[in-house]
Amino acid sequence: MLELRLVQGSLLKKVLESIKDLVNDANFDCSATGFSLQAMDSSHVALVALLLRSEGFEHYRCDRNLSMGMNLGNMAKMLKCAGNDDIITMKADDGSDTVTFMFESPTQDKISDFEMKLMDIDSEHLGIPEAEYHAIVRMPSSEFARICKDLSSIGDTVVISVTKEGVKFSTRGDIGTANVVCRQNTTVDKPEDATIVEMNEPVSLTFALRYLNSFTKATPLSNMVTISLSSELPVVVEYKIAEMGYIRFYLAPKIEDDDEDNKP
Amino acid sequence: MGIKGLTKLLADNAPKAMKEQKFESYFGRKIAIDASMSIYQFLIVVGRSGTEMLTNEAGEVTSHLQGMFTRTIRLLEAGIKPVYVFDGKPPDLKKQELAKRYSKRADATEDLSDALEAGNKEDIEKFSKRTVKVTKQHNDDCKKLLRLMGVPVIEAPSEAEAECAALCKADKVYAVASEDMDSLTFGAPRFLRHLMDPSSKKIPVMEFEVSKVLEELNLTMDQFIDLCILSGCDYCDSIRGIGGQTALKLIRQHGSIEHILENINKERYQIPDDWPYQEARRLFKEPSVFSTDEQLELKWTAPDEEGLISFLVNENGFNSDRITKAIEKIKAAKNKSSQGRLESFFKPVVGTSVPVKRKETTEKAEKGTANKKAKAGGGKKKK
Repeated sequence: MLELRLVQGSLLKKVLESIKDLVNDANFDCSATGFSLQAMDSSHVALVALLLRSEGFEHYRCDRNLSMGMNLGNMAKMLKCAGNDDIITMKADDGSDTVTFMFESPTQDKISDFEMKLMDIDSEHLGIPEAEYHAIVRMPSSEFARICKDLSSIGDTVVISVTKEGVKFSTRGDIGTANVVCRQNTTVDKPEDATIVEMNEPVSLTFALRYLNSFTKATPLSNMVTISLSSELPVVVEYKIAEMGYIRFYLAPKIEDDDEDNKP
Repeated sequence: MGIKGLTKLLADNAPKAMKEQKFESYFGRKIAIDASMSIYQFLIVVGRSGTEMLTNEAGEVTSHLQGMFTRTIRLLEAGIKPVYVFDGKPPDLKKQELAKRYSKRADATEDLSDALEAGNKEDIEKFSKRTVKVTKQHNDDCKKLLRLMGVPVIEAPSEAEAECAALCKADKVYAVASEDMDSLTFGAPRFLRHLMDPSSKKIPVMEFEVSKVLEELNLTMDQFIDLCILSGCDYCDSIRGIGGQTALKLIRQHGSIEHILENINKERYQIPDDWPYQEARRLFKEPSVFSTDEQLELKWTAPDEEGLISFLVNENGFNSDRITKAIEKIKAAKNKSSQGRLESFFKPVVGTSVPVKRKETTEKAEKGTANKKAKAGGGKKKK
């Protein structure tokens, strides 16, 4: 038996909007700790990891660990039917092959039930080791989204390099080149406008802008984005979900000159 | 060709060993492809209408080049790194099978001339397809084309499938792509079907893992090879009246062909005289392949533009605009293949949660096949 009641229903709507284009089908895992998801895109280049901790729900009941396979496109369709102020409750019975989304309007005068079929998804779960990153950049999420969007009109890939001075995003394409530098800036009125660069070692990595642009669909979830980079690891783009958890996107870097690698 | 009825046998008895995968998910992977099989398919389907085929000005067939060129570009565009493996000398045991095919082809040629006289269009198409033969010239053309495209080509000492499997075992490639189920018998750890199918058909790639096949069938590799020999392979006749299902039952019961021969009812099943099953088994177990120490060069290089244009456009009458565009595609794809995969950084772990939806019930509903020996014990293994 599973019953999760989320007062701030719009959160779940936003979560779905941010991942449904990257991943088609995924398993949601429910345990006593929380409601989570890990899924890769079809080409196995990007991964999304979502965690909504049980404390963030008004009511959280999960008798045993469950995994529910859902088509994210269909789930998004259903959640779109919920109003932004609605309270969303997710319910599933043991052994049943459906999940129910219940939407309650804030005034309690309208209650809707949406039942969705679950599916069997054979997906691989990747173990993501805790790692010390060479550089961690915190910046306004809207700024990051803007940069990714702007650069993708010039080129396909972006080089993200972190130095003491700040973080640089560069691209090149048929029409020319572009560079955007964001300097460390902590003297702002509002803390969410700050750009903070923590760096142990300078790093420079190349990524496909197509994926980064897809990640920025999570911008409405958080004012700040955290970008963690290490030269031998995928980049992590994290959006914190207030008082509940996070949504993290991992993206494998482009490897220059890969002729020498021996991986099959 | 290949092992008779093995696909169906596996679908019924080892459904978990086969997995449908998206074509895109192989991106960045090195894949060994049985070239002879592909060329044969191209000659049959590409640009054919009746007895007419794509030809150059000199009237030589070019279907294989067209097919090889476009399909390889499709693989490259998806970020896949193909290695083509060509057949070498066939093993002696296969000569019988080849002779059979030769005579079938001769029959088909006769039928074709009859059909041509009668003017029956369907028959013309049917029989002309059956007369298709892959010649040395076709092979050489394709090798030349692939080298110009910057794709590595390997000439196997003997059977291409065996060499593909060996490459995969040695971890030089991620998987083997062929339509021939032999690859599993040769022990290719990962085997893909339908990778080379045209995208228009929208057939998902079917991935087989030999370790799972063995686990699901509950057989050792040696027993699996015996099963394949009993089901019917290219190297020797099978026993009349024994098909895949019976073979599986017998192997499970007796363990090996030797024991089956001792225990089987000889009246009911006619065992061929001089049945060379041991020889066939040896061919599967120790096929003639390059040893792992031999340095096989697997290098994907930039395409030779001038070479491609002179070979395809000047010598074989391909449209020059199309080739130029295709070369651009190859170059763009080269750039794309530099994208890393997440699996090279993070390793898969075993999940712990239990799916809400019961798998057993859905499997039965979907397959509808009687899966009588449902595994005992309920432990849901999720990978």
